[in-house]
Amino acid sequence: MPLGGVIFITVFVAVFGCLCLYLGRLCGGKKYQDAVKLAPYECGIPGQEKKETRVSVKFYLTAILFILFDIEIIFMYPWATSFKEMMAAGIGAYALIAMMIFIAVFIFGLFWEIKSKALEWD
Amino acid sequence: MTADSFLFWLLAAVTLVSGLSVVLVSNPIYSALCLAMSMVGISALFATLGAYFIAGVQMIVYAGAVLVLFVMVLMLFDLKTELATFSRGKISGLIKIATVGTLAGFLAGAFSMSIEFMEKPATKTVVAEAGVDMSRNLGTLLFTKYILGFEALGILLLVIAIGVVGLARSKGGTHAKH
Amino acid sequence: MGSDAFEITVNCIKLVLVFLLMVQAVPILVWLERRGSGFIQNRFGPNRVGPLGLMQLLADAVKFLTKEEFSPKAATKLLFYAAPVFALIPGTLGFAAIPLGSPLKWGDYTFAIQGYDIGVGIVFILGVSSLAAYTILMAGWGSGNKYALMGALRASAQTISYELALGLSIVGIIMMYGTFNLSEMIAAQQGTMHFQAFGNTIATSWLPNWGIFYQPLAAVLFFAATFAESNRLPFDLAEGEAELVAGFHTEYGGFKMLLFFIGEYGHMMVASGLMATFFLGGYNIPYTTTEQVYQFFLGFVESANAASALTSLAHFIMFTVKLGIFLWIFIWVRWTLPRFRYDQLMDLGWKTMLPWALANTILSALVIFAVSHSW
Repeated sequence: MPLGGVIFITVFVAVFGCLCLYLGRLCGGKKYQDAVKLAPYECGIPGQEKKETRVSVKFYLTAILFILFDIEIIFMYPWATSFKEMMAAGIGAYALIAMMIFIAVFIFGLFWEIKSKALEWD
Repeated sequence: MTADSFLFWLLAAVTLVSGLSVVLVSNPIYSALCLAMSMVGISALFATLGAYFIAGVQMIVYAGAVLVLFVMVLMLFDLKTELATFSRGKISGLIKIATVGTLAGFLAGAFSMSIEFMEKPATKTVVAEAGVDMSRNLGTLLFTKYILGFEALGILLLVIAIGVVGLARSKGGTHAKH
Repeated sequence: MGSDAFEITVNCIKLVLVFLLMVQAVPILVWLERRGSGFIQNRFGPNRVGPLGLMQLLADAVKFLTKEEFSPKAATKLLFYAAPVFALIPGTLGFAAIPLGSPLKWGDYTFAIQGYDIGVGIVFILGVSSLAAYTILMAGWGSGNKYALMGALRASAQTISYELALGLSIVGIIMMYGTFNLSEMIAAQQGTMHFQAFGNTIATSWLPNWGIFYQPLAAVLFFAATFAESNRLPFDLAEGEAELVAGFHTEYGGFKMLLFFIGEYGHMMVASGLMATFFLGGYNIPYTTTEQVYQFFLGFVESANAASALTSLAHFIMFTVKLGIFLWIFIWVRWTLPRFRYDQLMDLGWKTMLPWALANTILSALVIFAVSHSW
């Protein structure tokens, strides 16, 4: 079972990364703290904290549409692996038509989204 | 303790600790990241059961899409600490006690049922390395037995897409104030 | 992982070696990138440190190590330090799942020349690649910098948009080979081109049996999507200097920055490895099958173990050559195309690549269905 290998290499890489960071801390130069240096970087000008930041809902829309289309793509994967088997078993045409209906719904959804300008980024 | 059971206990511990951290940690971003960790743990548990395709799909959809959405939205709204909402009163107290009691009953029932199963010798009826065969069976099943659910799912996803866009529009368009 | 202690130890060492291979390829890649960029731009790259400038990244690594260890005051310490460490994980997990050479038969054992052999290969690789979005988000949030956060959100929106095109462009290849397993896909691309059409076998001897001849559009779409996944030019607006300083890694310096770049080059290597596996026949030497190469080596050395080892070595070198071709194309494209504007980038992902990938899927399904019946 490859799961043991996956867990082993994940732990190994995490430990390696932490060791690298620790090495950097050990060998690091002299620490010099300054109020300006510690402030967030804004192209060298003193920080301008805007009290009102406009939050765009486009990120939310993009992420939700990504989830939906990702699920539809996931449904295509077992179909793709078993397509040749289903053709050999004689139900190939039926599987093809069923998947084409599904893809038609997918295409309709995608083109509706594009047309209704839900994915416009300006 | 065999390697399989050690792996199971390790993954179960990781999943449970992450799940507990979701509710116990105060920073909401940490909560979301702990939830992502528990999703990864569940995906690994699926892999120990031999359902490799579902494990991969769990990673792709849950840990890689849904929780990225959660984390993105949480970062957009600049929450430093969680809002404290604590309801008082007799009715809400009764509801809380009833809920905890029901949950405890479920847990006790699950424990007692699973002890029976653990005492039987485990028989693996699924070939462990048959990752692809299972997904081929899944594909064939999807198109023979569950074809209606499959098409209905496509339509459901379409409805969700249209609903999301409509919801975003009705709340003030694609530029919402903080 | 293996049935007895010897096999488990060898598999563990193999995993560590694959990881170290990925990490050690980074200095070579950086040298190639800097000299190659210089060559394209008609200037010298680094040529002072060591012969031909090969020691440049070693010197850079030592310099990074001796930088001050710094975190800004507004940073969330745990996330700020966890993000570079987490950056290594998706690339390594993905690269360890790609077959690098033909399996080595040593006595009774069969060792696959890859980190681990996953039955559902491509689904697993897509799953861990989608974890790369967390690196960007953790880095952007952990910096405590509003502009780093905006850069991180835009970069993660770009990453998830192109994951769709990535996942969808492969469906045609999966349909053709009927499996998720990368080793089986490579085994199906051996020898010269032959396929079944309308009940006859059509074979040509002057083309290798590679996936790129069956699915050229999918190859182009997949390769373009991997550029966006690794945040490489022309899709690297998230790191672009003009808009957001350095995007999500503005506040990072020293060795933490280097870990981000190891992660980015790791993604590039996974992308190149997948391109070689799906479309260029993986570790197969063109026009030959694995068995032919094994028999060839068996003619030289008498022991089956040594012949198997030589076969694996030859295939590994072939895979490295194919990997190098795609990595060079990554570097070449960097200085050929200008950077996309963000809305052009998102339009390309949603409105161009996704419909074309769908069209490719539909067309592949119809063609496979049509040729499997002898009309």
